[in-house]
Amino acid sequence: MKKLVAIFSFITLVSCSKEKQPIAYGEDSCDFCKMTIVDQIHGAEIVTDKGKVYKFDALECLIDFKHEMSKEKPEQFFTNHYLVPSELISAQTAVYLISENIPSPMGEFITAFPNREQAQKVQQEKGGAIYTWDEILDQQQN
Amino acid sequence: MLQGYFKSILFIVFFFTGATSLYAQIEVCENCSYSSIKKAVAEARSGDTIHIKKGTYRENKIIIDKPLYLKGYDYPVIDGLKKADIINVFADSVRISGIKLINVGASYTEDYAAIRVSKAKNFILEDLILEKIFFGIYLEKASDGIVRNNKILGDAVSEHNSGNGIQLWYSKRITVKENLIQKVRDGIYLEFADHCIIEDNISKDNLRYGLHFMFSNDDAYAQNVFENNGAGVAVMFSKRIEMRANQFRYNWGTASYGLLLKEINDAEIVENIFEENTTGINIEGSNRVNYLKNTFKNNGWAVKVRGACYENKFLENNFLYNSFDVSYNSKLNNNLFLNNYWSSYTGYDLDEDGFGDVPYRPVKLFSYIVNRTPETIILMRSLFVDIIDFSEKVSPVFTPDNLVDKAPLMRKK
Repeated sequence: MKKLVAIFSFITLVSCSKEKQPIAYGEDSCDFCKMTIVDQIHGAEIVTDKGKVYKFDALECLIDFKHEMSKEKPEQFFTNHYLVPSELISAQTAVYLISENIPSPMGEFITAFPNREQAQKVQQEKGGAIYTWDEILDQQQN
Repeated sequence: MLQGYFKSILFIVFFFTGATSLYAQIEVCENCSYSSIKKAVAEARSGDTIHIKKGTYRENKIIIDKPLYLKGYDYPVIDGLKKADIINVFADSVRISGIKLINVGASYTEDYAAIRVSKAKNFILEDLILEKIFFGIYLEKASDGIVRNNKILGDAVSEHNSGNGIQLWYSKRITVKENLIQKVRDGIYLEFADHCIIEDNISKDNLRYGLHFMFSNDDAYAQNVFENNGAGVAVMFSKRIEMRANQFRYNWGTASYGLLLKEINDAEIVENIFEENTTGINIEGSNRVNYLKNTFKNNGWAVKVRGACYENKFLENNFLYNSFDVSYNSKLNNNLFLNNYWSSYTGYDLDEDGFGDVPYRPVKLFSYIVNRTPETIILMRSLFVDIIDFSEKVSPVFTPDNLVDKAPLMRKK
């Protein structure tokens, strides 16, 4: 009986875990714009407070989707970044470069970096402006 | 508008036929005085023609910065050795024909292409064969060019880090015709590309879309065949696009469409054929679109309307043997269905004017249920579903009562 409870509670815990999921590039489609996600440095993800995962082909879609969420609450935000394709990092601590020389899937040229130094390094080569998470939210609202 | 295109084509033709007699002819082959294309290009003068003979040239980053004609004989091969771009065009009035380009470099951060045209005008890229590419032909801030009769074959079977076959980025007045594009990410991709014409191309077996528009206005595509692409054709965030006499076939999968319309205004969709797609046309947030004389045959859903779509007209279309003809998840919003042919219409025409006397309701109750709970699709074609569909047909309760074709055609167009 104890075993059964243990197994049952394990299953409940696992099925309720609020974790990011890897994006299946070429198969998953964006929950906002419906495009198939293929760009491995621009994908993004929202995990809600109930653990539901929404996937996006670009950060601008994530932001638009976030604004349209009414009943559900987004809890965690993830984004791919420029340095390691398909790796998801926290979108809130990431630093963003908007550079016309790095096209993104939705035409807003937003590319994420794990930290400011890395973003600045690419900025020197490609040009553009650097934003934090809060700044990029403001920038996208206008 | 068309006249303008002819003029520019004529201009280019005259320019080049004139050029061959006036300017130098340079030969490139293994035993010629030039054995490297790069060197021949560097030493050529404006307007020269470079004749490239059969052979394999292991070169990349060939930079063309003056008007030149690169002409290949018996498809000489330029092997890019999987590094960077193969040919970069930075000058106006460049023509490249009859060459096979292979092994383009691949990268996550740089969009390497077999041929990249940057900020140039009046170019012709024709009769080329592109294989083992990342991006095929990449036009950035280019205008008034022609991309014609090329064969582009990618190897994006399982890899998602593949590029697009023909990419137009911030480009204007480009004609893309008679190309065959296979196994790349998006066959033809237009982003911020205006006044372009895409016609008589075949785009199939691509990983994502056969043709993809983003933020592009006043374009037209006609007589193309889009077959067996990962997700069909997507036209998104664009205005005044004309879509005529194209064939959308065999796009199967949950996120797969013949044609995906998102935020499209003032478009014309005329005489296209949608055959055996999971969804023929998926429409979201699109207004003032006219659907005329299209044929929808053997699709799962012929037309799926999601979200707010205002003032769309569906006239004289053929809906043949689709599992669902029309599906709505919102109000009708001033959309009109009139004089279409519906293969599942069971009415009669007593006054023999060619139009059915009983209105046809294209939305079945079951399509609402499937919209809400996709899993119920397994009940399809069961007696239970037939009964609820029939009872809804007799006395509509759930489906919008104004969603009717008041005068359906008795014979298909």
